[in-house]
Amino acid sequence: MEEIKDKLELLRGRIPRAILFAIFCAFMIALPALIGKSWLNITVEMLIMALAACSLNLMLGYTGMVSFGPAGLYAVGAYTTGILLAKLGTGIVPAMIAAPIMAAIVGWGVGWICVRRTQVYFALLTLAFAQIIWTIIFEWYPVTGGDDGLVSIPTPDFFFSITNSYYFCLVLVASCIYAIWRIVNSPFGGTLQAIRENPGRVEFIGVNVKRYQLAAFVLSSLFLGVAGSLYCVFSGSAFPDYAHWTKSTDMLVICLLGGIYNFSGPIVGTAVYTILIKTISKHTMQWNLILGVIVVLLVLLMRNGVVGFLSQKLSRHR
Amino acid sequence: MNTVQGISGEPTRLPCETDSEVNPMTLEAALGQMLSGISLGMVWFLIAAGLSIIFGTLKVLNLAHGSIYMLGGFLCYHITSTLSPTPGVFWIALIVAPLLTATVGGFVEVLLLRRIYGQDMIYQYILTFGLILIIGEVCKLVWGVGYNTVAAPWPFQDAVSLFGLAFPRYNLFLIGMGILVFVGLRALIGATGLGGIIRAVTHNREVASALGINVPVVYTGVFMLGCWLAGLAGALMPPMSVVALGADLSVIIDCFIIVVIGGLGSLPGAFLGAIILGLTTAFGLYIIPKLAVAFGFILMIIVLIIRPWGLMGEPD
Amino acid sequence: MRNLVKTVTFLALGFALVAAMSVSPTTAIADKKPIKIGFIHSMSGAMSMYGISAEAGTKIAVKEVNGAGGVLGRELKLITRDDKLNAETGLREAKDLVLTEEVDFLMGTISSAVALAISDYAQKAKKIFVVNISQSSQITEEKWNPYVFRINTNAVPYWGYAPAIAAAKTWMPKKIISLGFDYECGKNSLAAFKEKYLQLAPDAKIIDELWAPLGTTDFTAHISKIANSGADALFLACIYGGGEIAFTKQAYAFGLYDKMKMIQPCAGDVETWSDVKQGDPYPKGALATCRYPFWAIDNPKSKAFVQEHKKMVGFWPSYGAMNAYVTIYALKNAIEKTNSVDPQKLIKALEGMELDTFIGKILLRAEDHQAMMPNWYGAIAFTPDLTFPHTVDVQMIGEEGYHTIEQIKKLRK
Repeated sequence: MEEIKDKLELLRGRIPRAILFAIFCAFMIALPALIGKSWLNITVEMLIMALAACSLNLMLGYTGMVSFGPAGLYAVGAYTTGILLAKLGTGIVPAMIAAPIMAAIVGWGVGWICVRRTQVYFALLTLAFAQIIWTIIFEWYPVTGGDDGLVSIPTPDFFFSITNSYYFCLVLVASCIYAIWRIVNSPFGGTLQAIRENPGRVEFIGVNVKRYQLAAFVLSSLFLGVAGSLYCVFSGSAFPDYAHWTKSTDMLVICLLGGIYNFSGPIVGTAVYTILIKTISKHTMQWNLILGVIVVLLVLLMRNGVVGFLSQKLSRHR
Repeated sequence: MNTVQGISGEPTRLPCETDSEVNPMTLEAALGQMLSGISLGMVWFLIAAGLSIIFGTLKVLNLAHGSIYMLGGFLCYHITSTLSPTPGVFWIALIVAPLLTATVGGFVEVLLLRRIYGQDMIYQYILTFGLILIIGEVCKLVWGVGYNTVAAPWPFQDAVSLFGLAFPRYNLFLIGMGILVFVGLRALIGATGLGGIIRAVTHNREVASALGINVPVVYTGVFMLGCWLAGLAGALMPPMSVVALGADLSVIIDCFIIVVIGGLGSLPGAFLGAIILGLTTAFGLYIIPKLAVAFGFILMIIVLIIRPWGLMGEPD
Repeated sequence: MRNLVKTVTFLALGFALVAAMSVSPTTAIADKKPIKIGFIHSMSGAMSMYGISAEAGTKIAVKEVNGAGGVLGRELKLITRDDKLNAETGLREAKDLVLTEEVDFLMGTISSAVALAISDYAQKAKKIFVVNISQSSQITEEKWNPYVFRINTNAVPYWGYAPAIAAAKTWMPKKIISLGFDYECGKNSLAAFKEKYLQLAPDAKIIDELWAPLGTTDFTAHISKIANSGADALFLACIYGGGEIAFTKQAYAFGLYDKMKMIQPCAGDVETWSDVKQGDPYPKGALATCRYPFWAIDNPKSKAFVQEHKKMVGFWPSYGAMNAYVTIYALKNAIEKTNSVDPQKLIKALEGMELDTFIGKILLRAEDHQAMMPNWYGAIAFTPDLTFPHTVDVQMIGEEGYHTIEQIKKLRK
């Protein structure tokens, strides 16, 4: 009897959450009917960027590893798919499956070298490797198209319709984000967070910290590869700047903006960042200055990002 | 390999290595190339020195270092062009510009950086990244989007015949400045009382504070010194280069490569790393010109495999 | 978990609200509706002077056309967007211009990567895209599609064939060494130069090819190698802008301009050299190609354009401004000829059109949609007319600087 009562209590707590979540899902599914084509385009880009940001946050927020390299792995995913589609004429399915695999392999190689070092050295190494990847893409003209990039990548006719592209991205991104959610809420995820808090202690209790950090790096790279691959298919092109370290800083700003200590932070950060940039660019050419000021204020005043800030406010009212 | 369409329309391949038919390298030419390499290295050292010092003591990786350098260049241009007819205008700029950049650095440290010491490194990166955006845009608003030049000052305007080359005096002056800055900094840090304080704070912040040293002031001072060095480098470059937007991003990567090779926080390491990179570039041009774009990275990877903490850094 | 759901829902609702508000109702009156032109260029950052100049040229033309009654009674409206020299951003802006602003035409770009991306999209969106600065020959050759036009010279004449023809007509050096920026433009530039020059001077040789990473500003090591090489001429492949000024200062200090003949295509670019004065290091005696030597063009409309541009933005017009001006008039003529803004009809009208411009009558070739914009060449010197070094005794190279149709057909296969 007691057990049944407890279970009912639990269910009662979960129902409002479940309802809200169902509303959200219904909204996302119905979106193409609600908004114009131009906004749908932007939403697809936001979905892909949200996936990339969540992947980065696996390393950044959960494991405490600051990397300037996510753009490099994202670009590896994009170019793998792009090259397979454009130069080798493979089908869409193998091209999209190969991307995360390739990104994970490169991530394993780069990560293995980078995790040998900690903190600043780690960050610098990731920066160096991102630039190396950029340089390889930039110079290897016969394969990557060099600084001209790859354009007019042949994608199946299915993607001509923006609605189709949207649903495809929605399903893929939702699945990947769910996978990341499962990872961070697993014992493995718990270990990662412990490593973030105090690597020394974790090492002391017999856990091979470097192996876990490398695993986080590789998993992060895998999902970044998916994001890159999706973007390549969606936009039909790939450019060396996908790998530039300034794109990595964009991703870092997005995570920080949303809040790196919450799972939904990167997702919220993507939405806020995209809307901000779009609004600022429309009104002024001085967008760099405004973005810079926002970033500085963010670091000084709102360190836990939008979600962190809202969480604190909401928890006070409970 | 690049394909290019020949006149007949059939694709022809550009030879990857044109059988180089330049004059073979004589001893004289080799010495000349070595001097060029040293000149390249000294320039890099001058730019990277400030970054190395700031990291050494504050443990802050200042992404905006390149921006301060660029600002120094713009200030030098501004001072020389406003005071133009006055003789010795470049020397005035060389003194004033670094002082101005040091002041900017002071404001940045006191108002912004102080609030994030001891926090996760991500905040420091993102904060300094924000500064890159702000400083870059301010330079654009104040000085516009064009290219600006500064004339080489007397007495470094012409060339000296060395090793069969007409080697510009200004490059020799830069080599001299690089050595002067290195020796000066070593003396300051190694042999003065002030240097002792800096070393103490670098070594152990808590103990230094317990001993009565005003650590926040030392931090501000060292950051200002780093910005002073960046401004100095920025003011020294225009006579042999150009003052333009975009220098902030292109210079910062080279700086990182040099301090990683030399060892973060080690000034002699940065000096050595810069010279090695300069010489590698200079001789690499003769031996394997195709890889010119990758010299820095290749060198960095080699050093990181053989000696991960850099040539003269300390293992952590 | 609660916070996740709450905040995400909250945001999604807010987002939908904003989106719903932005979907604007279609405006009714067709004949009073302005003809919208989407202008995408580098308006911030290192290359922004080209973007600002090209926009100024466009604005001047738009103002003139609107002042004379518009096109078919409709006024021209210019919407400017910044591509931040980034293909991803440029593509995004192009999509926004087409989908949200419903522009009738797209113009722009300085980066060839951005141009290729927008060209590809323009084909999908069925909108005409006119390039006014991007140089890569691929835009109108290998990667051409019927919606892209170029009213601008391209890399083949400007960086390759024209300097080769100019060098053959003036000095005919036998041993040439080259230095270029290590990217597509540099590689293609050298390839085109070699191809044409060795055809005109079969006994000449390119004795070595040096490369520097894009963005290098310290060429000391390269210059010392060049000085010792034994070459009698140096060809610069795609070294332009800030890097070019740095190179010239260093080479001048090394006495390279006295030691050998310099073939420096970009020395004729006004944007780069306008702040250099008598007494500063400059490309002394170098052979340069130029895309708009306004001081040598004796046409009152051209002179008025130059003054108007200077008044508007405070510096001399770049060739991009001139190209943009010509573009607006070309579009105007095509619209008036076909009495519509339908892209299919306009494409037919533009193909083979002879543009009547203040630099002469120029053919817009049908097969590749490339306007046969002239390239001028001359030696760099100071004259009393201008404060900055410029090409003197300019000669013109016209259609012979471009790839022939047969060559293009072979490339497209």
